[in-house]
Amino acid sequence: MNAMTMSAPERLLDVKGLSIEIDTRRGPATIVDGINLHVNKGETLGIVGESGCGKSLTMLSLMRLLPNKIKVKSGTANFAGRDLLTMSKSELRKVRGGQVGFVFQDPMTSLNPVMRIGDQICEPLIYHKAMKRADARIRATELLRLVGIPSPAERLDAFPHELSGGMRQRVMIAIGLACDPELLIADEPTTALDVTIQAQIVDLVKELRVKLGMSVVWITHDLALIAGLVDRVAVLYAGTVVEDAPVEELFANPSHPYTRGLLASIPKLSDVAANRLSSIGGTPPEPGRRPLGCPFAPRCQLAEDICRQSVPPLEPLGGSGPHRVACFVAQRQLEAA
Amino acid sequence: MATIPMTPAELDEPKTSLWRDAWYRLVRNKLAIFGLFVIIVLAFAAAFGPYLTPYDFLSQDLDARNAAPSWAHLFGTDDLGRDVFSRVIYGTRTAFVVAIVVTAIAVTIGVALGAMAGFFGGWLDRIIMWLTDVTMSVPNLLLVVVINASLKAPLAAWMEAQYMATLNPFFRETIWVDFILVFGSMALISWPPYARLVRAQVLSIRSRPYITAARALGLTTRIILMRYVVPNAVGPLIVSVSAGLGTAMVLESAFSFLGVGVNPPTPSWGNMISDGLRVWQHYPHLLAAPAAVLGLATVGFSFLGDGLNDALNPRGSK
Ligand SMILES: Nc1ncnc2c1ncn2[C@@H]1O[C@H](COP(=O)(O)OP(=O)(O)OP(=O)(O)O)[C@@H](O)[C@H]1O
Ligand code: SF4
Ligand SMILES: [Mg+2]
Repeated sequence: MNAMTMSAPERLLDVKGLSIEIDTRRGPATIVDGINLHVNKGETLGIVGESGCGKSLTMLSLMRLLPNKIKVKSGTANFAGRDLLTMSKSELRKVRGGQVGFVFQDPMTSLNPVMRIGDQICEPLIYHKAMKRADARIRATELLRLVGIPSPAERLDAFPHELSGGMRQRVMIAIGLACDPELLIADEPTTALDVTIQAQIVDLVKELRVKLGMSVVWITHDLALIAGLVDRVAVLYAGTVVEDAPVEELFANPSHPYTRGLLASIPKLSDVAANRLSSIGGTPPEPGRRPLGCPFAPRCQLAEDICRQSVPPLEPLGGSGPHRVACFVAQRQLEAA
Repeated sequence: MATIPMTPAELDEPKTSLWRDAWYRLVRNKLAIFGLFVIIVLAFAAAFGPYLTPYDFLSQDLDARNAAPSWAHLFGTDDLGRDVFSRVIYGTRTAFVVAIVVTAIAVTIGVALGAMAGFFGGWLDRIIMWLTDVTMSVPNLLLVVVINASLKAPLAAWMEAQYMATLNPFFRETIWVDFILVFGSMALISWPPYARLVRAQVLSIRSRPYITAARALGLTTRIILMRYVVPNAVGPLIVSVSAGLGTAMVLESAFSFLGVGVNPPTPSWGNMISDGLRVWQHYPHLLAAPAAVLGLATVGFSFLGDGLNDALNPRGSK
């Protein structure tokens, strides 16, 4: 069930020291600051964090799809033995859509409005698998059936605007899965959808990743939604990973004050009944105005002097193990206990 | 192939598409359909009218000069006794030929330059936009007058020389000099709006999520341009071409009216309006007939353009 085994699992994607900058009128500003992330073979990683903390840019930068003014400043991204950030353009094109599938946040705008969905699914098959159009259409029909679209053969000739949001997101997933990728990156694929549809999409991906044996990175700001889907969670705050732990461990023992705040802001039934929702006060730092020490310090109730002077490193809690946290106080509390 | 079910129900089901939807929206728009109807009637007149008209546009009937409208002459006759109805129909042909050719040239130039500017950006964009601005800042009439004044005589002389050398009757027709100058100068002042429109379209489409999604599929720049960028820019272009055809007709009439367009005896609405204006107190039909048809054409294209705009951008309208 769980991807953790006794021997060290093989890493499919290994991102080290990734920093991303944006050109502003006042000079370059850091958006993502030395992120370390990895995804094991067959593992599902959840990336959680507030809006604007750099989740999307991190994933886009791996595929070198950043918008014009935003650049990777440093870091490596090893994927199946090669660095995504330095490989040649033609190698990269084979990875894009071939070995790595992408599912975007907004199903309403991420499909070409003037192209039939069948053609959009066939596109990567023709390009990466050198399939003939007729074969690609057969495969596209299978894919639509796989993602749970009723009467798939008829839907091939539909245009995106003829489908509901949930159906379009299924089409996006079908496109992402078309070439049997080793890694599927889903960037908040359910944010634009109704709650019931959200759960359906999560269940769908859960089922598919077992069936297809692929790794998944699922970006979200809704921890509760993906609790049953992911193996491990990386919590992002202001462009850094502040906590990284197996999902059960994270829920049982959240150690970073920000993670605790996130978990506390998940509404429980009793909270909703009492109309009482807790949330973290304040806002994340703007790019270009990052605090000197711990990026969370301005909003942290436990902040001490050391937090404002140096950046807490992401280290295993208690010295070893898969649960890592970047917080002076959390590390010390464990030592004391 | 066998895995794709081809049930009768599926085959009978009407396939909807973006264009079909747009068409349905257009047909429901009464003004647009009126515009389309007017344009079709005028286009029919332009194409076949000259074979159907009761009189030749040049044939004079000096016994019936300046005759009021009658059954024999629906729109009356002019000061040389020529049938105004026939001349208006010939003028329709002139207007359509000029509008279509000028718009085709202008759209070709505009789309090519605009797409390059928008897609490649940088210095190419700056040069093209500079060219666009310069062209737009020169007063249209001035440019056309200058071109006509400076090129007409040499071009006519050249044609004459060619005729003398080859005896090819083509070079005898001074009408071609008119047309080349009219087409050229009007296309020259008409392309910048198309270039701007296409550039803006390409710029905005370039940053749409589906373009990022297409790049994330590993597709090449060429495929992305051809299958993702261009088809999405076509809708607004159609709208603007429809409006542009109407504008080109008005321009042709205006220039002919001012004597720098199509020259007599080739019938043009502008010429006829110009002639009619001199005698309108006595023979109002000489002004009314060409003016009314010009007005009708303008209204037709404008209604169709508005209708297309609403049909192709259902979310953008009202
Ligand atoms: N195209 C852009 N131009 C300028 N700034 C950008 C651009 N895209 C993102 N940013 C900035 O970069 C930061 C990180 O953005 P990113 O999209 O990665 O956030 P996110 O974590 O995915 O947020 P969300 O949950 O809202 O999707 C934000 O502060 C945002 O303002
Ligand atoms: S390091 Fe300090 S400021 Fe940062 S989260 Fe921990 S306690 Fe808060
Ligand atoms: Mg995002």
